[in-house]
Parts: sequence; structure tokens; C-alpha cells
Amino acid sequence: MAPTGAATAVRRLMTEYKQLTAGGSPDGMFTAGPITESDFFTWEALISGPKDTPFEGGVFAAKLTFPQDYPLSPFKMKFEPPLFHPNIYADGTVCISILHTPGDDPTMYEQASERWSPVQSVEKVILSVISMLAEPNLESGANIDCCKLYRENKPEYERLVKQSIREQLGL
Amino acid sequence: MSDMSDDNDYYSDEDMFDGTQDEDESGDEMELDNFGDDFKVPAKDKKKSYEVDYDSLSQQAVEKLMARDINHICSILGVEVDTASLLLRDQKWNKEKLIEKYMDNPTKVSVDAGATLPETGPPPPAPLRNSTSSSSQSSNRRTTRGSKMLGLGPKTKSPTSSPTISHHVPQSLKRASSKKAEDFFVCQICFNDAPNLQTLALDCDHAFCTECWGDYIVSKIKEESEHSIRCMAEGCALVAPDHFIRDTLLPAPGAPVGDVERESQNIAAWTRFQELIVRHFVGCNRNLKFCPYPSCTNTVSCPSAASKASLASTVPIVSCGARGIGPQDQEISKSQQLGFGLQGKEHRFCFGCPIESDHRPVICAVSKMWLKKCADDSETANWIKSNTKECPICQSTIEKNGGCNHMTCKKCKNEFCWVCMGPWSEHGTAWYSCNRFDEKAGVDARDAQSKSRASLERYLHYYNRWANHEQSAKLSVDLYAKTEKKMEDMQITSALTWIEVQFMKKAVEEVEKCRTTLKWTYSMAYYLAKGNEKELFEDNQRDLEKAVEDLSELLESPIEPDTIPTLRQSVTNKTVYVQKRNEIVLEDTANGFLEGRWKWNVAVDGFDDPEETVL
Repeated sequence: MAPTGAATAVRRLMTEYKQLTAGGSPDGMFTAGPITESDFFTWEALISGPKDTPFEGGVFAAKLTFPQDYPLSPFKMKFEPPLFHPNIYADGTVCISILHTPGDDPTMYEQASERWSPVQSVEKVILSVISMLAEPNLESGANIDCCKLYRENKPEYERLVKQSIREQLGL
Repeated sequence: MSDMSDDNDYYSDEDMFDGTQDEDESGDEMELDNFGDDFKVPAKDKKKSYEVDYDSLSQQAVEKLMARDINHICSILGVEVDTASLLLRDQKWNKEKLIEKYMDNPTKVSVDAGATLPETGPPPPAPLRNSTSSSSQSSNRRTTRGSKMLGLGPKTKSPTSSPTISHHVPQSLKRASSKKAEDFFVCQICFNDAPNLQTLALDCDHAFCTECWGDYIVSKIKEESEHSIRCMAEGCALVAPDHFIRDTLLPAPGAPVGDVERESQNIAAWTRFQELIVRHFVGCNRNLKFCPYPSCTNTVSCPSAASKASLASTVPIVSCGARGIGPQDQEISKSQQLGFGLQGKEHRFCFGCPIESDHRPVICAVSKMWLKKCADDSETANWIKSNTKECPICQSTIEKNGGCNHMTCKKCKNEFCWVCMGPWSEHGTAWYSCNRFDEKAGVDARDAQSKSRASLERYLHYYNRWANHEQSAKLSVDLYAKTEKKMEDMQITSALTWIEVQFMKKAVEEVEKCRTTLKWTYSMAYYLAKGNEKELFEDNQRDLEKAVEDLSELLESPIEPDTIPTLRQSVTNKTVYVQKRNEIVLEDTANGFLEGRWKWNVAVDGFDDPEETVL
């Protein structure tokens, strides 16, 4: 299975890459592609912070790691350096329902219809992540401290985010 | 599908429906009796009060039960077999609930189960463009489902679905997903666009290539142990029916042999799929429990222990009929079983709780409490016992980790002597005077301390005996090996035949069994309230323990050729005696439960709260 699965994954990733480069992202909100041509299973995505959010003006790099059986299993997404956001773990890993398979949620908190399925794509996931940046889901937080801060003192949260963006940009 | 929306038949004839339901209930009892005859593992002739009635079912037998339920639903609701299976799986195999709900709203029930497409809204022509509308439909539908979906409101409009509305779908995707896929089809999963690509789709017409469907189904079954496999299209809630999965996984008869490795993997997945459905069926049925032993696929039916209340008076220890670990050891004949030591052990487990061994005579609730206490407390208690003392005034537990014997309690500032526990003031400058044994204050202090230690000591008393029997039972593997060796020696040194030396093996088995009983009697005794009943219980326990120790000693004794006949005689006698004593303990305890004789010193589910008694 491994060789055929990997072949499927490579073909699929190449097609997705082609579509992303040809079509471009809507409003130029992000770019994504393999870091080197020798390894199609590791991508880098650059995401610009959505307007009217504390993330506006920032550009965030994320590493996408694809499994050998992609697209049957979802890829992993990790912001490097990590982002301060309720749904992003302290190490930068993104926690979002669209990147979870329907099986790995014993509490049935997330609905199967909004989970990973093979017809999802890098583009759709990144667009979901962008809207997650704008509207965090506080009900299933990954960074609990951040969740707490967001709920109790939103201005401070926004200040921290803006400050970290400035630091990243070297301002 | 048209059958299902057509519910007039059932509404017009309610009497008929009621009649069928009654029939169904009586049918249920019948069916237990029936398969009892067919699949029953012959149990012992007369039932003891500490035994429960149960039946062991093979996977095929459970499949038959399932098929019966499915056919029953088919005939009542007038739906296809596969649809009935999906409906039942969605309703946790509760026929009555399904029928009731279905009569109420057939469309909703079958859409919820993923058996049919939602009828409102346009039929989804393409997987991608339609995904948003169908996912929002599904979320509306799901929020009506009740408590399970509470708190999901904000999540349904979460980022996952919203972005897809506003963004264009790349050109190639649009074309591929058009209805006229025959002339140019690109699989949306692998982007394979070979002209002769074979595709599959459920009723929702979301077509993907056969290979992707196969990989997807295999990964769902193997990695996620899912029996409910949804359409791959985003937001589509249709579940693949059994025949679709079978056709995808199993090669059509007469088809050319493809990739052998892939095919064997598919066949394994199909087998696993059937097993998953059986497991789901068993898991939803209170009368059934799956054998917890590794790779055993048998099921035990024990209706008498299905209710929680019954567990307060019975200990439903059952056996699935198979032996050993792994499928190769199952279904062996009785004579073969004799050849096995522990490897061929019966799959014995408790029907009422997750303990995978015989915990008679103690009921589930108490054994669970005991195991938890042991896991939580034992090592701590042992350490406290051996390393600490208590302040004679405030009973704080104190560890002395250095310094002299002049102790000052951190909590109550009491100054005392570590050695004699008496007040330091009596020692004056010469604490060595505490070598005077009869010091009044010291004795009092030691008394107070020993009282406060009593409960700890009490627990350790029971725990140590419990652990001792557990340890002995573990060592019985060695004992088996040793005994086998002895049996061989006996055959060589004396005129005894193989059959005649079996008494040794029988004795070892009996000892092991009794040690299990004894082990659990200690957990029972720990929780039993003081009184005559407890004393009688402990008398029985003592008699059994004494008999078991005697027999154990005999088994360990060296074998002299001259004494073999006497040994054989006494071992056989003792074995029978031990067996009797064991039965007495089990039977008396079981009867006690039935008569409500036992009183606990703690609150136990299904019993009255303990009276105000001292432990």
C-alpha cells in the first residue's frame, strides 16, 4: 500500500500545488508550496493577517507536514514561530476541526461533517485557518492561557498579538 | 428510497403494527431459547446458586441474531436490508425506538442514519460546489438531535465551511464534478484523469475513482475502526451501505487477479468490517458482552445479569467457551484441553464489570471499590506504616528523617520522645531514662497511636492476605510446570499410568481456583460490617484457607517411590475436600446476597447505607 499510497499523495500534492500557483489565492491572502522540490511532503505557507483583526499587517509562516497516505489522512499545520491564539498550541500546532479525522474525537464534540475528508484541500484548510484567526473558537481551546485572556481581557490580548507581530517584523 | 417516504401503509394499519410488536417481544424470548439450544456450550448439569445462566455465541451466531433484527425491520418498515441495517445501527439496535421514530418521521430517521439524502433542497449534483449547502443542511438537521449537539451552535458556522462559499473553485474541479462526467472525469481525491478510470458513487452521485474509495474504506476500517463510513464528499452525510463496501473491497467473481497484497488487505478489511458491526451490535445490547480476551471473537449472552440491580445480588462470571489466546486454540476438544496448562485457560470473565477474571464471591461494586483502594492506597499505606509515627496529641503523621529523639510536632508544638512516645518533659535532660518501660504517659501515648493506626493496620491485614493469594496464583504457572515434571517422574518410578497421575493436575487446578476465591474473600471481609454474619463468613474462609494450604503443602512435598500410593490417596481426598469447602464459601456467599444477609461497612450501590457501627 505504501508505494501506491505515496504515489497518490504525490500526484495529488502536485496537482494542488499547480492549482494554487495558477489560480493564486483569493485577495492574495496566502501562498503555499513545497519547501524544496525534492520533498513534496513538507510545505511552507505564508499567510497574511486578515484585515480588521489584531493580526492585520503580519505575515505568518506555517509548516505543513503531509502524511504518506494523504489525502486519506489530514496534514499537520504548525506556525513557525508560534502564534499567540486560542486555537494554536504553544508550540505552534494548529488545532482546528477540519484537520481532525472523524474518528479521533471520542467526546463527539466536533461534527463529522466539519472534519477532514479527502475532498478537503490545502487551500480550504488555510482559508479556514484564516477565518479562525479572525474568530477564535473558545469552546475548544488549545492555548488555555490565551483563551482565558481573550475572554476576560480582549484589549490586552489584542495588544499582545500586535506587539508580537511588531517584534516579528523587527519594528 | 421511495418505499421509505411512503409511510401510509403503516399509519393506515396501526392494529397490525401493534400486533407485530407484541409478537416481536415474545419472539425475543423465543429466540434466546432457540439459540440456546443451538450454540450453548454444555454447562454443568445442576446449577449452583453462585452460577449464572449464560450462553456463549460465536460471531456467526451473533450475526444470525443481527440478521433477524434486520429482517424484522425490513418486513415492518418495508425497506431494503442495507437500509434497515443502517437505521438500526444509527438507533443503537433498539428496534422499538426505531419503529416508533420511523412512524413519526421516516424521512428524518433515514436521513439521520445516512441511509437517504435529505429531500429538501436540490439534489447535490457536484461534490464541491454543493458542499456548503449540504453541510449547512446537515448542521440544521443535527442541532435538532438533542443533547448530544448542545453547545455546538457556534461551531456549525465555524471556519470550516464558511470560506468555501466565497471562493472560486479551480476550473478543473468544476469540470470534473459536472454531471457529464463520462467524457472527462478527474477523481477529486487523487486527481487521476485516466480516460478508462472506473468510478463509484453512492446515491448522492459524488463520484470518486474505485481505487480511492477502496483506500478510503480500508483506512476507515483499519485505522479508525469505523463501521459507519460516510461519503467522502465534504458535508455529505450519506453512509455507505454494506453491499457497497463489500463490492468495493471484494473482487467481483471471475475478475482478473490484481494486486495480491492489496486484495488480501481488502479482504482483511471486509472481515474486520463485519466484526465491527457485530461489536457494535453487542455493545448496544445489554444482554450481550464481547469476550475481552485478545483476538477472541465470541460473545456471551447473559440476560439475567443485564440490569444494574441484578449485580447487587449475583456475580455473573461467564466463560465464552473458547480457550487459550489466539484463534488457533479455539474449539479444541475436551481431551486436547487436558494437555494444556495455563495456556489453554478458559476465557473466564465477569459479565457485569470490566474485571477480566473470576471475582466470586464478591459482587462487582465491592470488588471494584477494593481494587481501586488497593491501587490508590497500598504502597502509601505500607510506607506510612514502616516509616512514620504519629504525634501522640494531634495524630499528625510524622516522618523522622534525622536529628535527635527530641521531637516537636510542627502542628501542635507537642514535644515528645520518638522512642517511647511519652512527653519530653519527663525525660528532662537525660532522655535515656525512657528505657524505663512502664512509663505511664508513654504507654498511654502508644495506646492512642495504636488506635489511630488500627484502621491502617486493618486494611493492611486484608491487603497482605489478598496480595499473598494473588502472588500464589501467579506462581501457579511454575507450580504447573513443576507438577507436570512430578507427574512424569511418577510414571517412571511407579506403576501408575498417565491417566492415574492426573490427580496431581486436578489438585493444582483446584488450588488455583480456590486461591482466587480466597483472594476475593479478603476484599469481601474488609468491607463486611461486623457481626455474626461476618464471623460465619470468616469461619468458612478459614476452613477453606486451611484446606488449601494443606493441599498446597502436599503438592510441594518431595516424591518418594514408596509413599506414592499414600500421597495419591491423601491428595485425592484433600482435593475433594477443598473443592467442597470452596463450593460452601461460594454458595453460602451467593445465598447471602440473594437473602440480603450481607451488610457492608461502607455505602455500596444497591444496598442500604451502613448502620452506625465501629469497624
